[in-house]
Amino acid sequence: MIHRESDVRIPTLLLLMCMLFLQFQVHAADPPPPPGMVSTVPGAELWRKVRQRDGKSTDGISQVKGVDAGILINTQGDRWARFRINKLSPYGSIALAVVFLVIVLFFVLRGKIGIDGGLSGRMVHRFSDYERIVHWTLAIVFIFLAITGLILLLGRPLLIPLLGKEAFSLLASAGKEGHNLFGPIFLISLLMMLFSFVRRNIYEKGDLTWLLKGGGFIGEGHVSGGFFNMGEKTWYWIVILIGLLISISGLVLVMPNFGQSRIIMEISHVLHVLGAVVLIAVSIGHMYLGSFGTEGTAEGMKTGYVDINWVEAHHDRWAKECHEKNLVISAEEYARILGKKAESGELLATEQEQGK
Amino acid sequence: MIKSLIDGPLWYFSLAVFCIGVLWQLARIVFTAGKTDLSVARGSAGSGAWRNIFTRFLPRKEIAPQIGIQIVAGYMFHLGLFALLFFAAPHVLFLEEHILGFGWTAMPHWAFIVASQFAFLGLIILWLRRMLNSVGRLISTLDDHIAAILTFIVMLTGCFALLKGFSELRLLHRFTVELLLIYFPFSCLMHAFTFIPSRAFTGAWFGRRGIDA
Repeated sequence: MIHRESDVRIPTLLLLMCMLFLQFQVHAADPPPPPGMVSTVPGAELWRKVRQRDGKSTDGISQVKGVDAGILINTQGDRWARFRINKLSPYGSIALAVVFLVIVLFFVLRGKIGIDGGLSGRMVHRFSDYERIVHWTLAIVFIFLAITGLILLLGRPLLIPLLGKEAFSLLASAGKEGHNLFGPIFLISLLMMLFSFVRRNIYEKGDLTWLLKGGGFIGEGHVSGGFFNMGEKTWYWIVILIGLLISISGLVLVMPNFGQSRIIMEISHVLHVLGAVVLIAVSIGHMYLGSFGTEGTAEGMKTGYVDINWVEAHHDRWAKECHEKNLVISAEEYARILGKKAESGELLATEQEQGK
Repeated sequence: MIKSLIDGPLWYFSLAVFCIGVLWQLARIVFTAGKTDLSVARGSAGSGAWRNIFTRFLPRKEIAPQIGIQIVAGYMFHLGLFALLFFAAPHVLFLEEHILGFGWTAMPHWAFIVASQFAFLGLIILWLRRMLNSVGRLISTLDDHIAAILTFIVMLTGCFALLKGFSELRLLHRFTVELLLIYFPFSCLMHAFTFIPSRAFTGAWFGRRGIDA
């Protein structure tokens, strides 16, 4: 049982009475129809003006101060609502479903992309603690926003049949509050991501070749890559640019008290949803490739170290640099860094007691 | 049924466990007899205690660069949580009506939102550092993770209930608060009460021996 605390019945009744009264007043002031045109619909002229069907701006006069205060019915808003319900929501869900299915199909057909010769155990440091914290902060906040955002976008057609209206309204209310609160956190995380990784994500010579070979899927032979290859760089800029679009449009939506008109908010909403759907769709691919889609990739963001064979397979130009600078460490050294030895606490304590 | 349980017996039970548990733990620390220090004092224990209480708010310069993000996130989380706990309008009202009988000026809504965003971001970063830093991961216990996740859930359910339109969301928040209250005295969360005595004790010990630490 849902308890709504605000009782809106009395104000609604008063509003209806005022509207009826105003309607009678305006009827009395209606100009006579032009010769030869007799409208059979009562109040047609009034509603034509109210809904601005002639395309002219017919702002009314209101004591209420604020943008759009003199507009009784926003026809643009009507179009936006129809676009949201009939286009954005269904096509957005179809796009996400298609991406998901394509990835599942790809995994079934291709399987996990392995490394020639397998993993060597010898590692190279790839990401610092700070860089991984930034990555995972952004990832956690993004996933939370994606889930709550999709509840708001697709909840009516998908969740109401499953949960019922009352449970869905509760979920949507909670989701909306969480979504609005975490939005600015996403922007801060995004800026942290921008400043942490931008230097290594500038496009350079050789990236175009990677693109032309489809990252290795087109043609024969190895595709050359630096610290970040073309695909990773492109993903980075998609995250940054679309993330900024989503963040700015989200701020326009979440702070309506800065004088922006409804049309600005409606455009912001459409951009927000379109950007979010694109980002979610591409992020599904990123999550797949970064986890069980490619052998050895996840280690980089888990421990900060990657296998040298993985580096040679995907980032040969960086691998050359690692060898030249002698950055490759042994499996034992890697285990020591991760504290594998220290995990056997008794051994360490015994060694300390013996003064070793 | 569930509503009356959460608003009634479970609330009083969790409050009792929290109060008795915290007092018990503090008493245990205070009344645990330590060895009497018979050495000749080389400095003032009192000034050492006070110095240690305040100087530990900042990291030592030798290690500050390595733990910069931990320090920033730590302050973001703790100050944000403090502001939320004692200056959020719903909390001030609750404390006035149900516990203290008096209230104080609450934060404006925008400050409430900013404080909660600081707290959330700080907590996420702190927990991630615990998970991702190899030393942090090694010295972390299950208690540390439970405390962080439980605190996060309490804050999250609080933010879900912001609209105040659904009593179920308020109940969910209150239920998670009750879980936290019950867990609190037996966990690392006790540092909220022990960090000052702990610093003072260590500082006094150092001060008496003339150690400048």
